[in-house]
Amino acid sequence: MAVTDPETRTPYGGARKGEPGKTFDEIWQQPRGLRYWSAVSHQAVGKRFIVTGFCFFLIAGVLALLVRTQLIVPGNTFLDSETYNQVFTMHGTLMMFLFAIPILGGFAVYLIPMMLGARDLIFPRLGAFGYWCYLFGGIILMSSFLFDAAPDGGWFMYTPLSSNEYSPGAGPDFWLIGITFAEIASVATAVELIAAILCARAPGMSLTKMPIFAWYILIFAFMIAVGFPPLIIGSILLEAQRLLGLPFYDAALGGDPLLWQHLFWLFGHPEVYIIFLPAAGMVATMLPTFVGKPLFGYGFVVAAVISMGFISFGLWAHHMFATGLPILSLTLFSAASTMVAVPTGVQIFSFIATLAEARPRLTVPMHFILGFLFIFVLGGLTGVMLASVPFNLQAHDSYFVVAHLHYVLIGGMVFPLFGAFYYWAPLFTGRMMSEVLGRWVFWLMFTGFNLTFLLMHLTGMRGMPRRIATYPEGIGWDRLNLLSTLGSYILAAGVLLFVVDFIRHRRVGPHAGRNPWGAATLEWLYPLPNPNFNFHAIPAVRSREPLWDQPELTDRRAERIDGVLRGTADSRRETISCDPITGEPIQIARLPHPTWTPFFAALGLAVAFGALLASFYWISLAGLCFSVLVFLLWAWEPSDAGVLRPDGMGRTLPVDLADRRSHTHVVVVGLLLVLFALHASLIFGGLYLWNVVPDFAELTVRPLGLPLILAAGAALAMAVAGTVARRWALSERIGASGAMSGLTALLAAGTTAALGWAILPVSPFDTALGAVIWATVTFVAVLSAAAVLWGLFNLARDLTGATRPGQARHAFNLATYAKGLAAMALATAGLLLAFALTGGA
Amino acid sequence: MERGRDILALVAPGLVWAVHFVLIYALISAACAQRALIGMGTVWIAGLILTVLGVVLALWPLRLSNAESVRRALLWSSGIFAAAIVADGAFVLLFQTCGG
Ligand code: HEM
Repeated sequence: MAVTDPETRTPYGGARKGEPGKTFDEIWQQPRGLRYWSAVSHQAVGKRFIVTGFCFFLIAGVLALLVRTQLIVPGNTFLDSETYNQVFTMHGTLMMFLFAIPILGGFAVYLIPMMLGARDLIFPRLGAFGYWCYLFGGIILMSSFLFDAAPDGGWFMYTPLSSNEYSPGAGPDFWLIGITFAEIASVATAVELIAAILCARAPGMSLTKMPIFAWYILIFAFMIAVGFPPLIIGSILLEAQRLLGLPFYDAALGGDPLLWQHLFWLFGHPEVYIIFLPAAGMVATMLPTFVGKPLFGYGFVVAAVISMGFISFGLWAHHMFATGLPILSLTLFSAASTMVAVPTGVQIFSFIATLAEARPRLTVPMHFILGFLFIFVLGGLTGVMLASVPFNLQAHDSYFVVAHLHYVLIGGMVFPLFGAFYYWAPLFTGRMMSEVLGRWVFWLMFTGFNLTFLLMHLTGMRGMPRRIATYPEGIGWDRLNLLSTLGSYILAAGVLLFVVDFIRHRRVGPHAGRNPWGAATLEWLYPLPNPNFNFHAIPAVRSREPLWDQPELTDRRAERIDGVLRGTADSRRETISCDPITGEPIQIARLPHPTWTPFFAALGLAVAFGALLASFYWISLAGLCFSVLVFLLWAWEPSDAGVLRPDGMGRTLPVDLADRRSHTHVVVVGLLLVLFALHASLIFGGLYLWNVVPDFAELTVRPLGLPLILAAGAALAMAVAGTVARRWALSERIGASGAMSGLTALLAAGTTAALGWAILPVSPFDTALGAVIWATVTFVAVLSAAAVLWGLFNLARDLTGATRPGQARHAFNLATYAKGLAAMALATAGLLLAFALTGGA
Repeated sequence: MERGRDILALVAPGLVWAVHFVLIYALISAACAQRALIGMGTVWIAGLILTVLGVVLALWPLRLSNAESVRRALLWSSGIFAAAIVADGAFVLLFQTCGG
């Protein structure tokens, strides 16, 4: 469909994937029947995350009840100790990895575009891909039950317990592979959310006018991007040790089990804050609605959330206080652990000050908020107790810790989450949940929770260790355990009643109408349930509480509200994309229509991971290749870029701009952040072993110097070639740019070849440090392979005429990737060279 | 309306804290792990310099931005991180040995 507007530059249609002949509503309609699963819109994907996450919560909850039932009386034989180990391991694992993060991510995926004034997430397919990885990862982990190989080493899978020697079964493999797969999902979702928040907001919504929830989610996403990579690397190394015999954690060959603990807790502690932040963001969003006043001290809270995001990375070793680390090290972590109470306190005080501004309406979500404040503050206090090293050594591995962690996790996350369900359910279903049943749910959960876990502090103080399948009679633990178990049944009854209420309200709940709670944020703009496109026209925003302060948004029917992008220019799904800081529109972003590519890409990976478990390596390779092929098809699609279109408010904007501020560039930067974190985890591993096990470091054969210098040179040249390709693409020298992309690919291959040559003398099997060196170079090689594919892909597009004048994004973004890759290759080569120069065997 | 510089000012104290933390951790690891690369004297002097420098740099962004919209957040972010830097550094300065 050629466009003839003389103002717009239209050398071609500019909508090569449009659906001409369809109305705006039809273009945005969710596909039905089986094709529903090809939907990639944030509403569909968000709901999938939430429903699947809740199912995992129920399963993990049943496992918790099994644990409690086993402990109800001393000497119980309901579960044997092996099953008990599996049950508590799977409980912790499911709760942490497959429930908490994904369900919170699901809420973010669902709510963020609506709150920020976007029609969809800015990379809907990435969100959908993340969901499928999560589901398949979860299925792989759960299938361990079918093979009677459920992991039983605790949710942190410590080595040497999880090594082949002590866990010869497939349990740890299920854990490592399933969880790594699910983590890819979390990282993909995080990068997606970062790009969505920074690049797709309503006109005028600068960063400081964003709803507070978006700040929470932004920091949450950054933390996932930096915090998950250490565990991904740790898990890959452990799996490689189990599968290939590489001695990363094997003390006999210069490895160190504590390296696993470091990598695990580098992820694991931030994880707790990653879980807390979105839930606190929900509280900060709901609370003002019921108080009828804006959040007290928006600026304090933003500062506190940012500080928490940073400081929570300085706490990891407080989980290792009892491992014999130098005391000086412990004090550093103790200091940071205590300091994190400051930003937490600032947030809690801001919530309390908001509460004090006016008398809140005591709705069901408000009950859960109050429950959150009560429980979480107690959890925080026991946390400060545990941050003190001497107390920690006393309470270590006792039920005091179990009580503390549940106060923080259930108080800090589950209560706000249930409040959020009651609050936002009308958005999903158009109906209100019951105020009466809701109060029952709250009181059952609140009483049940405190009965269960308050008493566990005492059980712990009386010396009961965690993770024991039973205990003898008459040492003062019997009654406490009995009451804890009864409490857990009451808590479970509350959850069950919630499920009943949720199912019930979908049919008989009163219709919600428009903005039933009188909230201030944009997701309540339309009568409920929201249309799939979220906004007919995207309104300009001048306030943090637009529905309270901008009468033009509430004094007319929602579809009449003025704004940008009314209707559709090219029969395409599209949304406005903004400058990350000021929120001013800079381009129109074209969005994908329903597609199966994310599903198949994830399926290929699932086959690869699944086959790895069964040691079918060829099938694994085939799955991986299939997945790469689908990704290439996904990326190959015709581009809409290079034209200008009216925004409906008197301006013309470019479609899919190639620019630093554009969403595709922001996502590449986000991806690089993840890759840097992965690389840094490997470097940390290498330096750690070099420092802690010097004898074996000296035994490790040194890499060759000359190839390392060549690798550094090739890496630098690759960055330059990528940059030139970008320049030429921007000045529309398509063929020349293609050739430079090809050269970038060649140099990426050259970098890897030189690095590989340099480490040929080093054996990965003789010492742990040698294994880490190989792992680091392999990592750079994998990233280089991606650069090779990307460069050749650009070359092919440029040669086959798939690139039109004005289309430069593929080359623009490759340049950034090439620079990032060069930085990692240089760091690797530099460190290896330093190691080579220190002599040795 | 805020500019890129204002947002940078908001996160800069955090970055300073992160670098300070990593360096202090590196110092402790260099002194207290088996390799014992450096002595406690070096830890002490380097820790002191890093901590003073860290506090100055964490408070520096206060001079960078005057935007009303980020002022309060900036004050708090600089304050919290400066305090965290002092807390991290103080322990290094108070200990005379690796302590076990
Ligand atoms: C719904 C009610 C819950 C009950 C009754 C419950 C009960 C328990 C109990 C009794 C244990 C200790 C098992 C042992 O050490 O032998 C445990 C461990 C654990 N729970 Fe929960 N829990 C609940 C919810 C949660 C939630 C919501 C989370 C996280 C979001 C969670 C995360 C964990 C973790 C990480 C462990 C440690 C597992 C391990 O030691 O490897 N729990 N839970």
